[in-house]
Amino acid sequence: MMGLGRQTGPGPTYLTDNQMLRIVVYIGNKQQPKYDEAFGENIRKLRERRLENAPAFSLRQVANRCGVTPAYLSRVERGEVAPPGEETLIKLAHDLGEDPDVMLAQAGKISADLRSAILARPQLFAELIRAIKTMPDSAVLRIVREVRDGNW
Amino acid sequence: MPTLENDCLVFRFPHHEADGRFVIRFQRTLRIPDSYKTYDLPPGLGSFPLRHVEDYAGRLPAQTTDRGGVILPMWQAEAMWLLFNNHGIDSGLCFPVAIKVAAGKINAVTGEGWRTGLHRGPQDYMVSPDQPWLDGFAIEKGVIRQFVAMPLGDGYSVEEQLSGEAEWGGLQISVVPLKAEVWQAKRRAWAEEMRGRGRGRHPYEDSSRSYLQSISQPHRLRSSSMGLAAGGRMRQSIYPDLYNIEDWDIAAADRVFISLLHAKDWKSITGEAAPNEPPTAKAYSDAGLPWFEYYGKDQAALPGSTKLAGVKSVADLFKKETGATLPNSQDVETGTPLHIGPGANAPRPVRSEGSWYN
Repeated sequence: MMGLGRQTGPGPTYLTDNQMLRIVVYIGNKQQPKYDEAFGENIRKLRERRLENAPAFSLRQVANRCGVTPAYLSRVERGEVAPPGEETLIKLAHDLGEDPDVMLAQAGKISADLRSAILARPQLFAELIRAIKTMPDSAVLRIVREVRDGNW
Repeated sequence: MPTLENDCLVFRFPHHEADGRFVIRFQRTLRIPDSYKTYDLPPGLGSFPLRHVEDYAGRLPAQTTDRGGVILPMWQAEAMWLLFNNHGIDSGLCFPVAIKVAAGKINAVTGEGWRTGLHRGPQDYMVSPDQPWLDGFAIEKGVIRQFVAMPLGDGYSVEEQLSGEAEWGGLQISVVPLKAEVWQAKRRAWAEEMRGRGRGRHPYEDSSRSYLQSISQPHRLRSSSMGLAAGGRMRQSIYPDLYNIEDWDIAAADRVFISLLHAKDWKSITGEAAPNEPPTAKAYSDAGLPWFEYYGKDQAALPGSTKLAGVKSVADLFKKETGATLPNSQDVETGTPLHIGPGANAPRPVRSEGSWYN
């Protein structure tokens, strides 16, 4: 029996893989899945709060500075597409005055440098994160290395 | 105690404001021509890498490790500016801090020797968020001379010119928070205003943010210490403190010593490649890239330091010693600057991944 989507010669017309994919994407788009409304809403709030005092934070200008189209940024803000990639997120964070690590975390991502650090010692980092996840902020901050003062 | 995070110095004062942070980024930039012309603001070309001194204690001079703090690589062909960022409980309410900056323990605002605490008459510090950045030594009202690196001991640094010694080099920074009661009063007034404007409580108001050698016998390298000298003239104002001097919590001050190393020594000390040398002002301008002009909110500016005004620039000293013109000190055409700042509603661009100046 001929498999669905594989045209091996003359005979009944079957859909190619590519055609199937396009249909799946079409159906998906029709359903308009909300990827991450909370993330998009947060971006929009950050931008609009700055827009209250500075016209430079219009959708168009922020999008231009971050290297994306206004239409795309609008869809991100409405939660219609997945959060942007790391490079764009970092640009967005800098532009909107947000901490890049916080913005990446809100988008469900971690930066490339953190990812490589974790992958270098995955078990150790997994244990570390489990160990500190319930610690108060003040205790976590003690683990972040402080800059030592000396004699001057 | 400050922390080192992503090449930034981060100052927190959790006893004053749990959500408050003050961040200093050390921005690389090109050397503006050292001439009689006063230039607009050059761009940020990315952050200098910062590393803990004690991580390389075995490879650094003992006096460098004794001073603590961080190390930073700098080419002689480049310049530096400090980018200040306050993070508070809302974009409309930052946690203010007073910042004192010295180079070779010479105050960059007054030209006086390092003193603990904050002083007026003349004001020897800046206040952030009013002061968005610092690019150099305040020599006149609205004019600074750019921070440029020169080897310590060659006589060019501001420290050597004003103190006669080549002892400290580097940068020294002290950050002072507002007193807790002054801040709380300011915060309450802001919350009242927001309620009056119908904003209610900001979603982040109560949220807590946590932020998260291989040689057998290490030997100390004779690394070249660098000091900051006075480069070209640039338009930049130092703004007066609008708080009362007693509003600042001197006892809660934090401080950091930043030792500047010649970038050629960076790899042998840290094992990491040094950043590339930045472009010259001519190459930057020839490429048609923009310069910037800061538009504040009609703030007054401090008059500048007469002591610092008397400091000779690198080009002047070079000419005096060699009779030659300092390379790359010829004036360049910069075109019409882009307007940035609260009066112009645009931030000063700094380099991020992939792009040279945005």
